[in-house]
Amino acid sequence: MIIGIFCGNVAEVTKTKTNGQASRILIVDDDSDVLVLFSKWLKAENFDVVTVESGKDALAQISIARPDLVVTDLIMDEMDGMALLSEIHRQNPLLPVIMLSGQAKIPDAVKATHLGSSAFLTKPVDKKELISQIRKHLHLAGNGKTNKSQPFGEGIIYRSSKMAELIEQGKAVADGDITVFISGETGTGKEILAKAIHDASPRKDQPFIGVNCGAIPEQLLESELFGHEKGAFTGALSQHEGLFKAADGGTLFLDEIGDMPLDLQVKLLRVLQDFQVRPVGSVRSVPINVRIISATHTNLAEAVKEGHFRADLYYRLNVVPLAIPNLAERPEDIELLLEYYLEKFALRKGEPKKAFSPEALDYLIASSWPGNVRQLINVVDLCATLNKTNIIPLSMAQKALGDEESDLRTLKDAKHLFEREYLISVLQLTKGQVANSARIAGRNRTEFYKLLNAHNLDPSDFRDQAGA
Amino acid sequence: MDKIIVQCDPDLEDLIPGYINNRHKDIIVMQECLETGDFAKIRTIGHSMKGSGGGYGFDIITDLGERIENAALASDTDKIVQAVQELESYISRVEVVYS
Repeated sequence: MIIGIFCGNVAEVTKTKTNGQASRILIVDDDSDVLVLFSKWLKAENFDVVTVESGKDALAQISIARPDLVVTDLIMDEMDGMALLSEIHRQNPLLPVIMLSGQAKIPDAVKATHLGSSAFLTKPVDKKELISQIRKHLHLAGNGKTNKSQPFGEGIIYRSSKMAELIEQGKAVADGDITVFISGETGTGKEILAKAIHDASPRKDQPFIGVNCGAIPEQLLESELFGHEKGAFTGALSQHEGLFKAADGGTLFLDEIGDMPLDLQVKLLRVLQDFQVRPVGSVRSVPINVRIISATHTNLAEAVKEGHFRADLYYRLNVVPLAIPNLAERPEDIELLLEYYLEKFALRKGEPKKAFSPEALDYLIASSWPGNVRQLINVVDLCATLNKTNIIPLSMAQKALGDEESDLRTLKDAKHLFEREYLISVLQLTKGQVANSARIAGRNRTEFYKLLNAHNLDPSDFRDQAGA
Repeated sequence: MDKIIVQCDPDLEDLIPGYINNRHKDIIVMQECLETGDFAKIRTIGHSMKGSGGGYGFDIITDLGERIENAALASDTDKIVQAVQELESYISRVEVVYS
């Protein structure tokens, strides 16, 4: 739960809980005694609460905090409750607004109702009545809970309308076999969305197999995808069924499809047309029943124009395009994500949950996040690890984000990072089998072990993942 | 003077002292406003007291707030002075029991 008390331009934010169940209520009143009282009441009922002292601040917070319901006083300086109600409903006609007034004047109540007010309560407000009206109108609006409690995309954290729209599209296509194409920059969560679609589909009890087409050497990608017969090529000591067959009945997620070599694109197109795969070295095709979800961080339409990607395959894959927005395009999600990953860190470490100071939060929300959610997770982990007190200051956030950005800019570090991510991908692919991993990487076992040691990677960790 | 016992919600125990302290401040501001004839400000304070008192458990403060608001609207200095004195007396005698 997040409680924010805003007094003028100064924001004091206290975070006490992020459990994925809370609805966010914005309270607008120029009387600070009312704000703290209502905050106390609603906090005890597990609501997220944001409070502001003026209509102007309320409008600013609506776009940032994206409340599920607004409670506002009628009589306030500058912008009164009626003007605020009109403006809120001009921007968001479905947002429930409960109006409070110290004077039970029928004309006011009638006018508020005409303007779309959900309820009109007289001050002093009865606690039970206020909570009852809030629950009732949240229920009627259909947003009594945030996305996090919904079954689709359990691991996808958002409150922005851009992500809400994407999730609705994802839900809509999940219940079927239609081919989905996900685009988005690195770190935006393409595989998580693909997995959410799989988990919400009738194939959810069958395998979900992900493969990064850019992480496997060109000469091995064909046999990894389609399988091979024993002796099909040098080193093919046994039969290998391939990822298409492994995903039979389920979903095959082809990540970074734009990196697939042109000659393999032809073979993939044939599989998508016939739903049969022919393992390398085999004369027989094997029927497969696989749903395809593909993804890329590159502009595939542009790649088609430049001749790097086959147009026929592009159209075969791009049946339902889903575009994941960059983190910087949905700043209203950043605080929620920071909260979520701080809580995850605390649970993982068995430590009290830490919190970013208001200044650090402002800085992080305004940052550009070139590495998207993956970068945000790294920053949270770094700050939570290094900061010895429970409140993470601005300086620590700046250092963590600065370090992240310098990592992205330094060629040496970028190469190191790529090598590590490549090794992890290969180990995930082979489920920690060093011999197979070394073969894919084009290294002998000794060299491969040296690489693993250099990156502090333990193959057994990947065997554990496979069994989990 | 006799104490006035008021039962309040135990959940509000940490807020009540601040709320009472704010009424002390209101009294000082209203007395200043009476000297300058700023009835609009007095009316605003009375309106706020009316809206918040009952929520904290102080129905008397809500009643006094309403009287102050109405008196300020009528620019009735005598009634404002009387209600402010009653408020001052009340908050000096009130003793909160949390139950």
